[in-house]
Amino acid sequence: MSAQKNILQGPVIDLHMHTTVSDGTDLPEEIPAKVKEHGIRLFSITDHDAIKAALIVPPLLKEGDPDFITGVEFSCKDELGKYHILGYGYDPRLPSINETVQKGHNLRMKKVHARLDFLKERFGFSFPQGELNKLLTQDNPGKPHIANLMVKYGYAKTKEEAILDYINQVHFHSEYVRPEEAIAGILGSGGIPILAHPAYGSGDQLILGEEMEERLVRLMGFGLKGLESFYSGFTPKITNEMLGLAEKYGLYVTAGSDYHGRNKLITLGDNGLSEDTVYPEGMKRFLEDVRRHEV
Amino acid sequence: MTEMNNEVTIALKGRIDSNNAAKVEEEIRTQLEGKNGASVCLNAADLQYISSAGLRVILRLKKNYPDLRISEVCSEVYEILDMTGFTEMMTVEKAYRVVSVEGCEEIGRGANGTIYRIDQDNVVKVYNNADALDDIRHERETAKLALILGIPTAISYDIVRVNDSYGSVFELLNASSFSKIISTQPEKLDWCIKEYVRMLKKIHSTEVPAGKLPDMKETVLSWAQFMKDWLPEEAGNKLVKLVEDVPHNDHMIHGDYHTKNLELQNDEVLLIDMDTLAVGDPIFELASMYNAFVGFSELDHSIIKEFQGFDWDTAQKFWHGALAEYLGTENKRKIKEVEDKARIIGYTRLIRRSIRRGGMDNEKERQKIEHWKKELLELLETTEKLTFHPNELELEADADNLEEVQAFVGEHLDAADCPPRARMQIDVAVEEIFINIVSYAYSPEKGNAVVRVEVSEDPVNVIITFLDHGIPYDPLKRDDPDVTLAADERPVGGLGIFIAKTVMDDVTYEYKDGQNILELKKNLK
Repeated sequence: MSAQKNILQGPVIDLHMHTTVSDGTDLPEEIPAKVKEHGIRLFSITDHDAIKAALIVPPLLKEGDPDFITGVEFSCKDELGKYHILGYGYDPRLPSINETVQKGHNLRMKKVHARLDFLKERFGFSFPQGELNKLLTQDNPGKPHIANLMVKYGYAKTKEEAILDYINQVHFHSEYVRPEEAIAGILGSGGIPILAHPAYGSGDQLILGEEMEERLVRLMGFGLKGLESFYSGFTPKITNEMLGLAEKYGLYVTAGSDYHGRNKLITLGDNGLSEDTVYPEGMKRFLEDVRRHEV
Repeated sequence: MTEMNNEVTIALKGRIDSNNAAKVEEEIRTQLEGKNGASVCLNAADLQYISSAGLRVILRLKKNYPDLRISEVCSEVYEILDMTGFTEMMTVEKAYRVVSVEGCEEIGRGANGTIYRIDQDNVVKVYNNADALDDIRHERETAKLALILGIPTAISYDIVRVNDSYGSVFELLNASSFSKIISTQPEKLDWCIKEYVRMLKKIHSTEVPAGKLPDMKETVLSWAQFMKDWLPEEAGNKLVKLVEDVPHNDHMIHGDYHTKNLELQNDEVLLIDMDTLAVGDPIFELASMYNAFVGFSELDHSIIKEFQGFDWDTAQKFWHGALAEYLGTENKRKIKEVEDKARIIGYTRLIRRSIRRGGMDNEKERQKIEHWKKELLELLETTEKLTFHPNELELEADADNLEEVQAFVGEHLDAADCPPRARMQIDVAVEEIFINIVSYAYSPEKGNAVVRVEVSEDPVNVIITFLDHGIPYDPLKRDDPDVTLAADERPVGGLGIFIAKTVMDDVTYEYKDGQNILELKKNLK
């Protein structure tokens, strides 16, 4: 386990990135080389509601390549809010994780159909069946994919226009996997559930202080095990608040960039960790324990 | 987008959230293309809301442009930036409230601005300089430092726009300046002097950590260097040397310590106008005080009234009273010695100030400059150093001066609550030693003697030291007189030293650096 030794010496790690399996622009196959190029020694691919990369990547890794752990990012929602929940180190062959992914995928597809129906009824936009088949067989289609099609067929000049002026004209009561379902699915396959970018909720909120703590305690009740405390979008102050909570509740600590390839201006490995960061106890424990789950 | 002094300013508008963050980021990047290394300022005057998607845009920008700052941030956005730690990572400037001072009472005026009362509880200091934000920040920092070091002062809690300039707002409840108290309640003059000096001593006894405040000596040295072009060579060199010889001092000086900068708030005395805070020898402070109460209005007595609200005679009473209180003596010779030292720096400053304001092109100003120069040249001839010791008196060793020496020592003994018996004994000893110096040190020539009084607190000891440059002579070596002999059988002299040895707890002599040094020590409790 030479990599293990490296980890404790403080390799660059990045446990949060997306590929074409969801809304990233890099193929899963391209990731190991890119990750290596950035000096990252341990990585995980965390596509939205999809685990295909966990099957594609491991066979590609050669001696000297960075270490890989399986990952996923579930979009969740319940009566009290929206959450992104990461899962690490699960066995991708086990039914539990696959059932959760399937449920998420079904809900997502339901919404894609609803959006397409809405665009057709309200604006009369329609697309060739071949394009629709391609769209619907993608792993994780969403607003951006529909928007791209609209631009391609001249219904909108830009992707932004497509989303703001047309797609967003209707708000669907979105259905998502519930947080307890995601957490159970991850745990059921030997994985570790971690709350993604906790202070930013499902991405664009700002949740700090008591509100954050209440939310965390509730999710811990479902089996949540850690917080993504190092994150590309966090200031040192936010990271410190997350680390404080992790320490208070004895939780794991992870670090991720949320790299999306060309879709967002985030660099691989950018997560607030630097060479002189002292790894908190919760992160050291995570790095040790996540491997025990490996099959 | 605007570009000034290698700073690119980009205006943010409306809302930045997940719907438009990517677009905003792309626009900013397009505007900054080819501007690597530039300082970037995001002007948030028209930004109403920012979500975490927007925060991430700023964070990424900060990584590429480390000097990034955000200006004119409304309070809602500021709160978000503060909560998320952005205010700790970069300069975030709040948008400023606009305040009018029209019709407001002017309660203070300093070198850099004027203070107005805007309502019952608040005052605003309006800066003369239109681009005063750095000045305001500097003053806030120095005021905080002073407060930490134990000097009671008001700290500004807000920055506002006033006309074309900026102002900083302070809470100052029911306060009135010492100038106002002196003008409206003349019977309180003595009380004001006491409080004014109490605060002055507190400032001067405050040690400032190295590097926190500018060194006044450097400033005064630059004034002296300036004067070299306007004085005869010898006088110019002497002026520079006098300033150079002032030893470095880490104690605080206010720099603009006059009665408009001292406020009485309820029962508390507060110092305001902290932008001139520095470290240095107290003589630099006394010089600026001299100018405030005397120098500026010496040739036109109406100036003081206009500036402080009280008249010239009151100003003179205040200045001399404050100096006496500060030095702990009514001794005119001592007060004049220190005042003359202060005047050297005071005139230097007045002349430089006037010349720099084109005074040489104006007949009236030129006359003033000539007057100050004449005074300065006279003072330079008779002054050998600028520093002073409040507890030291130098005068001619002449029997006529005995009373003055005793009075000077007596003032310090009074200040130390010396018991009457000890005081009488010390009086006798001082008389004997001084007369001894008068009789023998320079005879038949004349020369000066220095008497120094030091009182230590614990144990309460008084040490009186006499110094003279007369012939080396150790009076203690002389045999004690045989007091059993009848008066007409005793040899002449020697009895004085014997009395001194008897009534004091310790008397020592040494000859050092060409001086006879005789030290008398008495335990007071």
